[in-house]
Amino acid sequence: MTCDETKLLLTDYWSQTLDEKQELAFEAHIATCEACHAEAERLGVLWNNLALIPGVSKEFEPGVNLRSRFYETLGAYRQGMEAAPKHSLWDRILALWPKQPAWQMGVSFALLVIGVGVGTQLRPDRQPSLNAQPAAPELAQLRGEVSSMRQMVALSLLQQQSPGERLRGVSYAYQAPSSDTEVLSALLRTMNQDDSVGVRLAAVDALRQFGSSPVTRAAIIQSIAKQDTPLVQIALIDLLVDLRAKEAAPELVKLAADEKVNASVRSHAKSAIEKLS
Amino acid sequence: MTDNALMGLVSNGEVAKMAVLFERHHRPLFRYFVSMNRNRELSEDLVQDVFFRMLRYRASYDPNQSFTAWMYQIARNANVDQAQKRRGEVVGIDEFDDRRPEPASEAMGPEENAARGQDLALLKRALDRLPSDKKEILVLSRFQDMKYEDIAALLGCEVGTVKVRVFRAMRALEQAYFALAGEKSA
Repeated sequence: MTCDETKLLLTDYWSQTLDEKQELAFEAHIATCEACHAEAERLGVLWNNLALIPGVSKEFEPGVNLRSRFYETLGAYRQGMEAAPKHSLWDRILALWPKQPAWQMGVSFALLVIGVGVGTQLRPDRQPSLNAQPAAPELAQLRGEVSSMRQMVALSLLQQQSPGERLRGVSYAYQAPSSDTEVLSALLRTMNQDDSVGVRLAAVDALRQFGSSPVTRAAIIQSIAKQDTPLVQIALIDLLVDLRAKEAAPELVKLAADEKVNASVRSHAKSAIEKLS
Repeated sequence: MTDNALMGLVSNGEVAKMAVLFERHHRPLFRYFVSMNRNRELSEDLVQDVFFRMLRYRASYDPNQSFTAWMYQIARNANVDQAQKRRGEVVGIDEFDDRRPEPASEAMGPEENAARGQDLALLKRALDRLPSDKKEILVLSRFQDMKYEDIAALLGCEVGTVKVRVFRAMRALEQAYFALAGEKSA
């Protein structure tokens, strides 16, 4: 065995994972090579001590909250999955997608060629009557499934611990239809209870698409007094003005008169009352 | 049941099986992140993130691929993503310096225990001084007890290359350790 070969076996030697033949050859070499013997000893001490460093030793445990957070997330994810249609057309299409990149490229290219071919054949100037054809029911079903997938992702992300993930959840919520009450209630909860001001502000913006619903407008009006940050309060007032929510006037009058409320918020409320009247 | 088989079931929709994988792997993953970042709270967030990513990307799991290598690939990506997000923030406070007692042996006297504790603290600082690729390969091979085959799959190289990199990282660690010891005694 050479010195270079010995170096490659050092960690196996320290971990005692060499087979008998390798171990004999290794020991025979270090018995005759002083440099390799010294290096094996020196680095071996460091190797053993590495496992004793506080914070990385096996006795070092994560907090108990980690487990409960994981099970909460898993529960939310399963709930989202159960709410989505099972064995949907979309799942079946995804299952057909190959896992190997080479196949993926091949299938993509083939689909592109087919797409260009079909598109050329079905150009409106050649087949004007096709425009009058109604969308196939499968397409409508597929759209419905994609929509519920987005809903599931939005709801799961909004329950995440990381503010970044919750922000992503809010951005998914934009794609939900305005009739989606589950996403609406998740956004309202986020607006009222999220720890992060940034996430709350994003939720306020996302609620704009649900603004035609009286429930949403009432929840936004009630939320102003609950907020502890002027930034969010001002965003809520602006949203009410944009939605032309005249029913917010009494609450805004109360806010403008309350001296405990931040001065900028009060002046914003006054200006909103004028705009809404 | 093996990790690969369990993840295969998760991939096919039995997401409840992810709980078994969590129980098997959340502690090693936590120690991986602590070793890389020295921040308990952040490491717990990252473990949570890894399991959520595994759920989200479960359909991309190939049962012929090593689960461990796949999971650590996701963990590395999560670690890189958080480092990019936190760039510019003040980081690197070693919360374990003051709070965690150094391991002590009852067989040792108080002076020997103190000396051992100082040695380990020095070794920890030397490890933190290594370039991230050297530090990571030591974390994976020494702290995570990962097989060389899995590390090779994770890093996209041959097993022999992994062994060479571990050896080089140990040499670099030794140099950093003695440099710190020299600074201390000077």
